[in-house]
Amino acid sequence: MPDHTNHGPHVIETRDLTRRYGEITAVDTLNLTVRRGEVYGFLGPNGAGKTTTLRMLLGLIRPTSGGIAVLGSSPGSAGSLARTGAMIETPAFYPHLSGGDNLRVLARYAAVDASRIDLVLDQVRLLDRAGDVFREYSLGMKQRLGVAAALLKDPELLILDEPTNGLDPAGMTEMRALIRELGQGNRTVLLSSHLMHEVEQTCDRAGIIAAGRLVAEGTIDDLLGEDALVVRAEPTLDAMAIARDIAGVRRASLVRGAIRIKTLPGAELDPAYLNARLVGAGVAVRELRLERASLESVFLDLTNPNELPARGDWPGHPDGNDTIHDEEVADVA
Amino acid sequence: MLRSGLYMLWAELFLLRRRVATWVLLGTWTGLGLLFGYIVPYAMYRSDDDEGPSALTGMLPDQLTQTVLDGFPFYGGAIALMLGVLSVGSEFGWDTLKTLFTQGPGRGRIFTAKMVALAIMIVPFAVSIFAFGTVASVIIARMEGITVVWPDSGTVLEGVAAGWLILVVWAAVGVLLAVITRGTSLAIGIGILYTLVIEGSISLLVDTVSFVEPVVDFFLRANSYSLIRPLGGASGASGDSAATDGPGAFSGPYVDTTQALVVLVVYALVLTGMSAWLLRRRDVA
Repeated sequence: MPDHTNHGPHVIETRDLTRRYGEITAVDTLNLTVRRGEVYGFLGPNGAGKTTTLRMLLGLIRPTSGGIAVLGSSPGSAGSLARTGAMIETPAFYPHLSGGDNLRVLARYAAVDASRIDLVLDQVRLLDRAGDVFREYSLGMKQRLGVAAALLKDPELLILDEPTNGLDPAGMTEMRALIRELGQGNRTVLLSSHLMHEVEQTCDRAGIIAAGRLVAEGTIDDLLGEDALVVRAEPTLDAMAIARDIAGVRRASLVRGAIRIKTLPGAELDPAYLNARLVGAGVAVRELRLERASLESVFLDLTNPNELPARGDWPGHPDGNDTIHDEEVADVA
Repeated sequence: MLRSGLYMLWAELFLLRRRVATWVLLGTWTGLGLLFGYIVPYAMYRSDDDEGPSALTGMLPDQLTQTVLDGFPFYGGAIALMLGVLSVGSEFGWDTLKTLFTQGPGRGRIFTAKMVALAIMIVPFAVSIFAFGTVASVIIARMEGITVVWPDSGTVLEGVAAGWLILVVWAAVGVLLAVITRGTSLAIGIGILYTLVIEGSISLLVDTVSFVEPVVDFFLRANSYSLIRPLGGASGASGDSAATDGPGAFSGPYVDTTQALVVLVVYALVLTGMSAWLLRRRDVA
């Protein structure tokens, strides 16, 4: 792995990170890059390998192969953990202690001044319930205590795994605002989530993981891509050929029986013109509509286990290109 | 380094102190000690008209060390084993290991803090039974109108130290079982089974199966009873104690006291080392 200094551009870098459990590959040659100061969304469906990856970043589990650098150190080393705050899966605390006492124990372990306890409890709006026993906390309060514990060290890197789980809508909004606020300045936040709008609202960049593989990575705008024209027409292959011939069309791909047309940056395709071209060529147009770009559609396209794309098929992927691949028409039959 | 170590130790002692289970075990331990050392023998003495004043000997203050020590290798061991299991095994159940292991000090240092705190927490266990035994024996002496003769303070201190070591070794057994099974229930089950059945049953074969004796010489039970014997425990002085007559009766074989001390210390170190090695090596899933 490259040697990172404290001021290096990458706070987290994984190289071909792989974790297998027997025959099952939970994380598959993952190359993840999180830059200093950004809020990075780690997006994927349940069971995609997000939490396994985060556990490896924290040294809780060892990779089967591949390399990891966290804040320039190996994962789980005292050097990286001292500057990292984390909440992984459900927050785990001593049930018989109060929220405040739990943080007192952790502050001792992290050698953090006790004065930070009230500060972080206040940040997550839990100060008035600090004396309550943890086992009596609601799920939302437990989540907030988990975030407070992660903030205790005032860390350079904050790793949060599904932090809005169990929160009510108002709590979710507050938590997202807090995460955004925490990501200001030089602090880096790695936010794992399966909620597309959460990542869309909160993050600067995101990586999408499916079946243990990173299928896309880039800024939210990169991942969203442009709006697309969606056409259902017969014969489909003729319609596809016509669409590809139109000037300014960057990509025409077949997704679940419909042709999805994207244009080159700056180019616009008039739906009326497309319709006229198709009809003029004897193609029967059954549907023609504009599809607005959303992370949700990208996410669903990328993480559908039956239609996982080949690497490099999507904009934003490190190996990405804009050519039309043969496999895109493979499901016509 | 030292300061952060003391901080961690404070945290671990705080955790042990704030657990109800710690105090329940302490209460059970002292309750059993009083029950088998004083209450039952005294009730038997009072109910049997044929018993002479000599039957009171073991219940008087000057016999405190031997009377109290007999409980350490038997139910004391089981109690310490449970304390050891709970102090580490619960962390698996609550999933708090992941929280601790992401704080920064490193798994080895965290485990060291846990073990040192556990060893410190066992001091009140060793001391309390002597304290309650003293009170009980004085009460009995007063009730029977016998002059109180205090035991030799040096012997009492040696007894407390020997008892503490025995409990520490059993707690280390509990910790290892908790780390192996990643929990509490199975660890306690296996531990109790080992304490009561395995060591006890194999010890009974000493007279009939020749190759068993060298094995039994390294059992925790044999070495624990051998350690306390010179102090009067395990019927070393009175010949009438819980070790031979009460539950968990033990009639040998005994080993040399020095060997017993060395074996117990080695047990404590090896068991702790194995636990630390496993905890450092394994994934926290």
